Amino acid sequence: MTTDICWQALSTHAEALKPRHLKDLMADGGRFQSLSFRHEGLLLDLSRQRIVPETLERLMSLAQASELPEWIAALFAGEPVNDTEKRPALHSALRLPESASLQLEGQDLVPEVHANLARMAEMVAQLHQRQWRGYTGEPIDTVVNIGVGGSDLGPVMACRALADFQPEAARGLSIHFVSSMDGSQLAGLLDRLNPATTLFIVSSKSFTTIDTLANAETARRWLADASGMADAVLVRRHFVAVTASPEKAAAWGVPEDNQLHFWDWTGGRYSLWSTIGFPIALKIGMENFRRMLAGAHGMDEHFRTAELGENLPVLMAMVGVWNINLLDYHAHAILPYDGRLAHLPAYLEQLEMESNGKSIRRDGSGSELRTCPVLWGEVGPNAQHAFYQLLHQGTEPVMSDFIVPVRRYEAQSETLQRQHQLALANCLAQARVLALGDAALDAEPPTPWQQYSGNQPSTVLLLDELSPATFGALIALYEHKVFVQSVIWGINPFDQWGVELGKKMATRMLEALGQADGDQGMDRPTAGLLGEIRRLRGCDGTRASKGDKG
Amino acid sequence: MKISVWGDELAAWVVAAQLSAFGNEVQLCAGEVWGRSEADNCIYPSHKSISAEPGLMALLEEGYSSGRLSAVGAEEALGAPVHWLAMAPDHADQALELVKRVAGAGARPCLVVNQSNFGIGASDRLQACLDQSGGQAVVCLPDTLQEGRALAQFGEPDALLVGCEDEGARRWLMGLLRPFTGAVRQLQLMSRREAEFTKFAVTGMLALRLGYINELANLADLLGVDIEVVRQGMATDERIGSHYLAPGCGFGGQHFTQYIEGLAELLSEKRRSSLLETVLAENLRQMELPFRKLWQHYDCELKGKTVAVWGLAFKPGVASIDNAPALRSVDALLAQGARVRLHDPEALPEVEKRYGSNESVSYCRDAYDAVESADALLLLTEWPEYWSPDFERLAQRMKASVIVDGRNVYDPGLVREFGFTYYGIGRA
Repeated sequence: MTTDICWQALSTHAEALKPRHLKDLMADGGRFQSLSFRHEGLLLDLSRQRIVPETLERLMSLAQASELPEWIAALFAGEPVNDTEKRPALHSALRLPESASLQLEGQDLVPEVHANLARMAEMVAQLHQRQWRGYTGEPIDTVVNIGVGGSDLGPVMACRALADFQPEAARGLSIHFVSSMDGSQLAGLLDRLNPATTLFIVSSKSFTTIDTLANAETARRWLADASGMADAVLVRRHFVAVTASPEKAAAWGVPEDNQLHFWDWTGGRYSLWSTIGFPIALKIGMENFRRMLAGAHGMDEHFRTAELGENLPVLMAMVGVWNINLLDYHAHAILPYDGRLAHLPAYLEQLEMESNGKSIRRDGSGSELRTCPVLWGEVGPNAQHAFYQLLHQGTEPVMSDFIVPVRRYEAQSETLQRQHQLALANCLAQARVLALGDAALDAEPPTPWQQYSGNQPSTVLLLDELSPATFGALIALYEHKVFVQSVIWGINPFDQWGVELGKKMATRMLEALGQADGDQGMDRPTAGLLGEIRRLRGCDGTRASKGDKG
Repeated sequence: MKISVWGDELAAWVVAAQLSAFGNEVQLCAGEVWGRSEADNCIYPSHKSISAEPGLMALLEEGYSSGRLSAVGAEEALGAPVHWLAMAPDHADQALELVKRVAGAGARPCLVVNQSNFGIGASDRLQACLDQSGGQAVVCLPDTLQEGRALAQFGEPDALLVGCEDEGARRWLMGLLRPFTGAVRQLQLMSRREAEFTKFAVTGMLALRLGYINELANLADLLGVDIEVVRQGMATDERIGSHYLAPGCGFGGQHFTQYIEGLAELLSEKRRSSLLETVLAENLRQMELPFRKLWQHYDCELKGKTVAVWGLAFKPGVASIDNAPALRSVDALLAQGARVRLHDPEALPEVEKRYGSNESVSYCRDAYDAVESADALLLLTEWPEYWSPDFERLAQRMKASVIVDGRNVYDPGLVREFGFTYYGIGRA
């Protein structure tokens, strides 16, 4: 069967299904059983999606016809699936157990991966044992991760999500994250920190990221001013570089001993599993870090081997395709009902939109299909007081992912357990109201403004509990979901050419800001802004002082 | 009088020896109270520092040969009318258990003398297990014995604090102590809780003084002032005096630290006060001060350096390295890839147990052997034999003439005259 035929069949099926309200679909008694799927500590419940079991069959035919199984095999085998950059995308290799083997260009990657993990473990141990010493000889007690994008979002998210699992040894170490290029996070932080006991992790795959290097320079200067010590000593004792470009990190001054490496086949937004996860390991300990890897590896194996129709990432992705391409949903809300997952929405914004926010296919042709939707989110209970109004009564069709653990606070107070119960109840209630609308009530709404039309589809992801392993599996689930959708749409999810031009323009603009004749070659609106900025700064390019201006 | 003494603390052995010397029939139960019954194993203190107590072993021998002192198992010890508890601070549960058994099976009336540091309220908890109206009473006698002078302190105290809330028990206790109390100038009776609190308060005060002088020493370092001169000046003020004012690289020892931790916890829990917690945290930092001085001397790179360490016991005169400040500097040196050459007159076997065979660690029987080719010498415990070394010989054997004096035993001027770079605590 060709993809065209599959799309045709899906389209016909969609036309038939569209008029049917979710409340009618959900009346089917066997629906939960036939539309919910399990993998280890995760339950994927698709029964609030506007589908019937037959929909899944048709979607799986499309996946088959799109050669999804072949693509999955290629992904895991290390074939150059990132074709525009001519390299593989082997984040799954970062999660392979030590006993595994994966050949890339005649070399087994696994020993190298584990050697880097071991090196990271040594550094973690040194810091946890309070034996990493700053310039006064005091042990380091504060770590600041300087990174942006994939070098920031993943570690921030995981540190927050898994903070409960912090081992005793890690309690003495506080971890901060700094990403913004304007220095606003760093400036506030440096006021409070003790330079003698602060270590900076400079995380940059290329070690050329301007945002990160600008922050790192400020940190370096701060240390020099505070200590009056030689730069080489300060960098040696207060900086660790995490990078895929060792030479560049060395040129910046970080000695080999203070470097942790990963590889160009690890995409930035897929890198939290690599040594980019150093702050995660510092927060939760190596043992838990390895559990997180193992959880993700479990999902990898499931994705690689399970039948398409029982394969969680495939099911999740194909239901997304159904919503986007057949039911016209182009907004996607991520709604964790657990404050520990507060940074999951921001992480998925990058993972999904930087991967699949593309309109040119692998073959260079323009995509005729809509691709990645606009994706955003917030901790569910808080979002209820913010944008749920739009979800319930707005004009925009939105699909939602509800993510919630079942067990929490088991060793803690009853009141906290009740609070989680409350969150769980709200999660289920919101998913229900979005789907059923007024039908969730027994009575008719008294006014038009109190009407809920419902029929907004959602997925519920139920975690037995939030642990390093289930967290690893959850993130791997989304990674693979993104890959599956990219296969259906024929795009490369592993490049990000769309972020390059802006960077280049910024370099030119920086020059323009500093030059009197910087307007040359600029469009008129930009030239206008440049002029205004110069005026407000009190220099009009001829270096006139403030007083000279009338 | 038949008396059972419970515990393996200094006080237990001193009390047993002293009481048996004056005609009492003393049964000593020093083993783990309910674990071991072979009393034979426990005729001598298990801590070497206790056996080293001047005069103690001879007095114990006397007691054993006279037949008035015997080591017994727990079951046998239960029957006596007097129970003297001098147990380790972490054995409070065992004490409670044994007092419950005394209440059930022991003699009545009976007297329990609690000389253990179980914390405030522990004696009351023991009393609650007993039948007070039936003449079973607990008195609290805070343990104020200091190593090295313990026999005399118990035998001829000049002041006595007793926590006692029962007239009969007071008379009984004073009767037992009669041979020793001739010189007592001050006998203070108070409630059991007050007695326990007093013990804690004294210990906390000493810790605060040490913490304060160390804090001042570190400041003196930065301001170019010699703290030794300053503290002599302080001591001339009679409100302050000279005790517990010696700056150094931290205090250690198992019990002292444990008491203060207990008090710090209590203050933090009841009052949200961090006063003593701060003292403890600063003390931990202070223990690493010799390491930090060396680290800074060598521009933050100690890999491959050889460092001689003199003194590892937590204080001179003991073989114990419990919470010894020296260990933290040694740990830090090893973590930086330095080699250490260790000497201690008594504690070396304990140290060897801790670090085992390690190619970065040499255990030296001779102090001058330890400094062979060393890049620095750290003096961390002020054993008398370290006070006047042959500096010329040291300079010859060492690779670099650097001394970090963690106990301020040397005269900086003199040491520098011998060509050494000298670092003390607060003596910049």
